[in-house]
Amino acid sequence: MRGPKGEDVLEYTRVRGIPGLRSASGLNQRFIPGSSSFFRMGSTPRRRLIALLLLLSAGFLVLLVRLFDVQIEQHAKYTKLAQGNILRIIPLPPLRGAILDRNGLVLVGNGTNFVVSMIPDEVIDKRKTFSILGQDLALPPSALEEAFDRMRDVLPSYIPIPLMAHMSTAEVGRVSMDIYRLPGIVIQTIPQRTYIQGPMAAHLLGYVGSLTVGDMKKSYARHLPPGTGIGKTGVEKTFDDILQGEPGESRKLVDSQGSVIRKLSPRYPTQGHSIRLTLDFRLQKVAEDALGDRRGAVVALDPNNGEILALASHPSFDPNLISSALTAKTWHDLLNNPDHPLTDRAIQGLYPPGSVFKVVTTMAGLKAGVIDPAKPFKCNGIVFLGGWAFHDWKKGGHGTLHLRRAIMQSCDIYFYRAGMALGPDKIAEMARYFGLGMKSGIDLPSEMSGTVPDRDWKMKRMHQPWYPGETLPFAIGQGYLTVTPLQMARLMGVVATRGFLSTPHLFLSTDHTVRFQKERIPQKIPVEPASFSPLREGLWAVVNEPHGTGHPVRMKEMEIAGKTGTAQVISNRIPAGGTAHVKIRPDSWFVGFAPFRNPKIVVSVLVENGGDGGDVAGPVARAVFREFYQDYLSHPESQPDLAANKKEQRF
Amino acid sequence: MNKIPVSYVLRSYPYFLLDILGLILAGILVQMSIDWHLALRQGIWALAGVGMFFILVNVPYKTILKQSLPFYGFLLVLLILVKVAGHQSHGARRWIGYGPVMIQPSEFMKLALVLALVWVFGKMDGKEGLSFGKVLLATSMAALPGILIAKQPDLGTAIGLFFCLGVFLFLRGIRSRTFFTALWVSVILLPIGWQVVWNHLQGFQKDRIRTFLNPESDPSGLGYHTLQSMVAVGSGGWFGQGLKGATQVRFRFLPGAHTDFAFAVFSEEWGLVGAAALLLANAYILWFGYKTAVLCRESRGFLLAAGLTSLFGISFLVNASMVVGILPVVGIPMPLLSYGGSALLVSMMGLALILNVRTHEET
Repeated sequence: MRGPKGEDVLEYTRVRGIPGLRSASGLNQRFIPGSSSFFRMGSTPRRRLIALLLLLSAGFLVLLVRLFDVQIEQHAKYTKLAQGNILRIIPLPPLRGAILDRNGLVLVGNGTNFVVSMIPDEVIDKRKTFSILGQDLALPPSALEEAFDRMRDVLPSYIPIPLMAHMSTAEVGRVSMDIYRLPGIVIQTIPQRTYIQGPMAAHLLGYVGSLTVGDMKKSYARHLPPGTGIGKTGVEKTFDDILQGEPGESRKLVDSQGSVIRKLSPRYPTQGHSIRLTLDFRLQKVAEDALGDRRGAVVALDPNNGEILALASHPSFDPNLISSALTAKTWHDLLNNPDHPLTDRAIQGLYPPGSVFKVVTTMAGLKAGVIDPAKPFKCNGIVFLGGWAFHDWKKGGHGTLHLRRAIMQSCDIYFYRAGMALGPDKIAEMARYFGLGMKSGIDLPSEMSGTVPDRDWKMKRMHQPWYPGETLPFAIGQGYLTVTPLQMARLMGVVATRGFLSTPHLFLSTDHTVRFQKERIPQKIPVEPASFSPLREGLWAVVNEPHGTGHPVRMKEMEIAGKTGTAQVISNRIPAGGTAHVKIRPDSWFVGFAPFRNPKIVVSVLVENGGDGGDVAGPVARAVFREFYQDYLSHPESQPDLAANKKEQRF
Repeated sequence: MNKIPVSYVLRSYPYFLLDILGLILAGILVQMSIDWHLALRQGIWALAGVGMFFILVNVPYKTILKQSLPFYGFLLVLLILVKVAGHQSHGARRWIGYGPVMIQPSEFMKLALVLALVWVFGKMDGKEGLSFGKVLLATSMAALPGILIAKQPDLGTAIGLFFCLGVFLFLRGIRSRTFFTALWVSVILLPIGWQVVWNHLQGFQKDRIRTFLNPESDPSGLGYHTLQSMVAVGSGGWFGQGLKGATQVRFRFLPGAHTDFAFAVFSEEWGLVGAAALLLANAYILWFGYKTAVLCRESRGFLLAAGLTSLFGISFLVNASMVVGILPVVGIPMPLLSYGGSALLVSMMGLALILNVRTHEET
């Protein structure tokens, strides 16, 4: 409501509701009649003063709530921030543990790596710094900036960010000369993983790579300083937690300018634990040398406990190239090399086992009573099934023979007949007893399991029933069946031990008891130990009889038994430089064990497209057997070596 | 309108006086935790302030008000002098003086403006509401020093002057319709006006406002002030880190800790309990001042008490809000707590005048 002059008439009455004001206006009214103008302007100022007071009170209330929120509710957050202000924690990289072979030979150690890094907090002129550094290192400044930007957001700004690793001595010298012009640039020496044997045993050892931004988000790697190596493949990856060690940290209190007020006692990094492998580098070297420049794999293991003695794959690569100055080009070349040097053929290569598989067919036949070792069999070199003719590898056949000679000369017809009588499921069952079609459980990453086909598998996979004609190639290790060289070594181990399936492993011991390995007791398979005898006799004959397919393997000093395989390559794998029209040579196998009466070693050799098993893979196996004999058996006094290691293995 | 003996004041308003004393001591304590030199200087200024306080309480405010215009004029001259021959520090030309005694005329201008506005609005001429002439006069009286101060540059103090003007216009009865129309117009014109103001702001002023909108976007850069201030306040907790444990202050992470961010220091050292006590002490002054105004039966006394109290309260609220990140960083110091002789002196004089109105009106 408005008065004649526009004043708020209502206010006169409204103000009465407010205690204190009433008396004030009342006083005015009573005692100062002369200053009626003030009264008339009147209660407006007082009313508005109250409004102002309420407004400010509201402000106080908001303030109080905000203080409670910041000081009590968010106290922890801000306390942490306050500590982050004064505490500078700079991680110190740990030294990675060494990797040794079973005799204590160092395979992997540490060298020194010079890294030029930038501390974001201390840089004054980034652009200028990059351009000077770029000149010193003969790099475009943009490359340095890129390296810097990659890490920028994941690290606190007082931690050095590596710009370039593996500087040469000359580069270190040039940067050192300029260092006074480069505030915020430091040259760090970071331990450099060194693979002393170069490409030898590269696949099983693996390699380390720099901690990536992705790795840094993993919980166990969160506290590792940038530039730390982290296991990417092989033993380096499997046992990364043992090898890694604990990073230390230097801690100091700083003020807002970053200048150090007080240094706190540093926590020094602890070196990672060394690992001793079951590997015998002498055997490894012999195996790799024997393979030469052929593509293939060699596995040697102790069938009694599963200890890997050699695990070679060729072609190989130099892990030093990867874990040190890995350029994009080197990596690209490795990845795109048609020979796939990064693939560990021993555990990842999938091949048809060829005639070596007859070991399985024999045992399945003996178990089912389909094969009678004493019963003669007439091989005429051909068998017909459903209108198809299946030939023996030897034209005209082998004539009349028993099981022993069927194995010795690798007669296909004998095993075709056995296979037809057994059917695929029984063969597959026995194959699985021998560890085919499944991972062996070796302590290496990315092992392949291969394929053991049977009726169910075919239906599931191809939506087709099993055709009888497919059983025949299956029985002699062809067809859908694929295995790894390691699986074949494991298989032969079962024969060597008369029925014990071992778990292959590389871990022997560590200088620390942090890690308890599962007991690796070989598992008994459901086959009578005595029933191995006819098979073993045949395997002995393969090597030791003059007409045995594996005769080239024979040694005078030590009785060796084994089986050759010459597997037809059906896959689309094409050798390097070849074309699809070139007739692909078969894969060459030899898998055997020795000494025959008290087996201590199984050797499995595969040569891709090698040709005849006995002639190509055989000599490679022989070289390994010979080395083993010389190292372990020729001198009786050296024998306790194995026993001592066995005791140690309990770690 | 007789002179009032000090003993009477002491006996009659012990809480008000103790309250002020407590706040001054809290301020000196804050300075001490940063640097005892600061505390010593602040202490000397405080002694001068106490002397000034009792002188001003003693002289009837009506007598003082007669000097309003000369005082205002004198300070305007001083401001021009500062502009011409002021002492420069931290990129701003704000101080004038010789040797150790440097005063900041802009601080005193706040007081002078309140007195001058009391002169403008206090005289009753029998007319209702506000004449256009008066509003124009008051506005130019605020704008003249306001522009000079903003150019120093000292945006905070200039804004303080316009707050004073606003309080007076509001209290003196600018029509609700006019007031709210002006409010709406300014809301609508804000984007346009913002552009104009923005273009005239200094670089660092722009940065402050920018980062206020998102303080954590660049913790070591522009948002540094607000973030570090909140870290200081937040790490205080219930009972504070004490004088030794307050790392934000001790290791100088808080810029302007002794001046604009003294409240942050206090909160870090004394926690929520201390901060709440400080709030209470200031609220009591607000209550006391407004009660004085309401009790005053005379228009100039009313306006004087209300104006000074509002100035005090708004300064406190704006500063505290800035410290806890509710408002952007504008350089308005916290009365009595922040370091600064001129500001302390002006606060003491203002409080003395409030008490003056109370005593001289009640007797």
